[in-house]
Amino acid sequence: MKLPPNVSQADFTAALKEFASIVGDQWLFTSDDDLDLYRDSYSPLWGQSDERTASAAVAPDNADEVVALVKVANRYRIPIYPISTGKNLGYGGAAPATSGSVVFDLKRMNRIVEIDERNAYVVVEPGVSYFDLYDYIQKKGLKLWIDCPSPGWGSPLGNALDGGVGVTLAPYRSHFDAQCGIEVVLPDGTMMRTGMGAMPGAQTWQQFKPGFGPRIDGLFKQSNYGVVTKMGFWLMPPPENFATGVVTVPRFHDIIPMVDAIGRLEQAKIVQGLWSLSSPTTGTAAFAAHGTEPQPTDPKVVALLHAPGGVDMNKLDVAANAAGIPFWAANFNFYGPKKFIEAQWECIKDSLGQIPGAGFKLNDIRSLPLPPEEVANMQDLGPLGIPTLRTFSLGPMISYEGEDVTGHIFFSPVIPRTGEAAIEAMELFAGIARKYNLPCPPLQFPTAIFERAFLFAVGLPVTRSVTVNAKIRDILKELVGIAAARGWGEYRTAPAFYELIMGTYSYNDHALLGFLESIKDAVDPNGIMSPGRYAIWPHHLRDTTA
Amino acid sequence: MITRRTALGAGLALTAVASTAGFSAYARAASGAGGVIDALLIDETMDIPSPVAALIEARPRTVPVVGISLDAAAHERLMLVLGGSRTIAGISSGATLFCVERLGWDHGFRLTARREQRVDDPIGDAFRGDAAAFLAGSSAAAGSPALVRAYRPSRADGVLHAWVMQKSDRPQFRQNRGEA
Repeated sequence: MKLPPNVSQADFTAALKEFASIVGDQWLFTSDDDLDLYRDSYSPLWGQSDERTASAAVAPDNADEVVALVKVANRYRIPIYPISTGKNLGYGGAAPATSGSVVFDLKRMNRIVEIDERNAYVVVEPGVSYFDLYDYIQKKGLKLWIDCPSPGWGSPLGNALDGGVGVTLAPYRSHFDAQCGIEVVLPDGTMMRTGMGAMPGAQTWQQFKPGFGPRIDGLFKQSNYGVVTKMGFWLMPPPENFATGVVTVPRFHDIIPMVDAIGRLEQAKIVQGLWSLSSPTTGTAAFAAHGTEPQPTDPKVVALLHAPGGVDMNKLDVAANAAGIPFWAANFNFYGPKKFIEAQWECIKDSLGQIPGAGFKLNDIRSLPLPPEEVANMQDLGPLGIPTLRTFSLGPMISYEGEDVTGHIFFSPVIPRTGEAAIEAMELFAGIARKYNLPCPPLQFPTAIFERAFLFAVGLPVTRSVTVNAKIRDILKELVGIAAARGWGEYRTAPAFYELIMGTYSYNDHALLGFLESIKDAVDPNGIMSPGRYAIWPHHLRDTTA
Repeated sequence: MITRRTALGAGLALTAVASTAGFSAYARAASGAGGVIDALLIDETMDIPSPVAALIEARPRTVPVVGISLDAAAHERLMLVLGGSRTIAGISSGATLFCVERLGWDHGFRLTARREQRVDDPIGDAFRGDAAAFLAGSSAAAGSPALVRAYRPSRADGVLHAWVMQKSDRPQFRQNRGEA
């Protein structure tokens, strides 16, 4: 049996016995066969000595059991690693950040604690998945929508704590920003509620985020200060209608005024639905899940796109313009009353119409819900607030370096919301892709998921080859270095890169990390809670991981 | 090749059985009739080659066939099947298998047998034989050590998988609690 770091066999055995007495023997897992399920399928360290694996797993049924388990862990100084549904593939899955940790598997805690249609909020436990919540709302006929990430088997609570995002309206897309109220078990076993929840009998826990005094909810995002056992979320009313609209602009550098114009509309809350970039010239879309773009057929454009040394954007721009192919398209999603959508569209036309040669097409405004048979044939249901797993059936179906691709990790820098930065990032990362023969389109685009910045998520293949995975890790390190040199930092990463990414947030001799470690030492002096998650280590493990 | 639509035309009832009369009762009836497989899951997202469709059609008549895909409606159906079964067999793409396997873990299921076949290649004897054995609920075939059991996640497209999952004694994580 694997032992947690710095824990004796006797203490571990005694702790496991106490864990079992709390949850029942059947909910304590120590066999290799059971613990295999807590490996990260997408780990870039798969099969290596430094792959992060669990020593045991324990599955409580409720928050009281979590409290009891944490107290035992704290007494024996057993590192624990809470997971919700454990399916955030690409970001660690169910595997702990430190090998030998005991996974707290919270899937059994799948209660929808409260749902309020009138005030549009829900309180969930960690084991509730997006599918569960969607099904519940549908069965009850509640007039509520959820915002979900691509894989619907994730947990709203877990996804929010990981900094996950969705694709509907701006106020709901950042899942941590959409939360309102946290219940958390601290490392000493104290149960705490944030915001208005700190008041016994609070009537507005899910209605007023700031609460009284410092707002500390953010301390529980991408951190290791407690086991979150409940979380409230603001939900959206189901929109009356849905529509898509496309604005095209002719020239490569038109992306600069286009991004500026859309940005002003977003800042003014006129555009709130997610918009995405695509390019009729390169035949590329920002979101593969939104479908594939028609491929260009003009011979000169096609020849330039397949130039051996990479695409010369200036030549491509000229060729596309001569062929009458717009270089860029902004694809908008609209929600709400018909007259509201039409008004938004008029504002977009007024603003983007300032760009010479801009073209506009508002597609049919469709009454919601769409017919089931139509929904069944849509590739991407996220914009309709419907969870799916269809992302797993998407390409690119590839091998890399002769090895079957078994998953991916993300390089996910946040870049400025400007056309200039978009061009710089696109060309920079395309160059890296060419250098390492990575599978990707001629240009990969940033997305506008965040309200004020672009996200430039690049998926890198993971294989089961130690050699190829080492190469991929080196590529990611190179990308991180290139981005950091430009002041672009990642918003989220896989556990194998926590230190790498945190190392780039180094302003004033790593003052941020120093502060986070001070908090860690204060609230978790025994260092039991998810040690190493997001590179926040307890004091007794810091020297060995530096 | 046949798609779901043509499969339906050929009489393969990719039923919504789980969402109507209740899958559990159907599965119990199937088991009571001597069946070993409680349900046959067919991937609605890919074309099923004719020889495989014929195997499906030749399955024991007591075994319900349930269409699966990766969307919310099918997810609810799948949850009912996983909750009410002990042994399930499936014909699916790798992506669907990847997802069903992980959802199955939460219900105590483990992949116990699997055979793969490229869709574009003629269906070989090995695939046909194993798939027939899986569909017939042959425990001997399901336990064959020659089969590749663990599914290594892959993005390779165009591969058909025939598989069996069995519920172990591991407790089930999924509990339909609803609102507390």
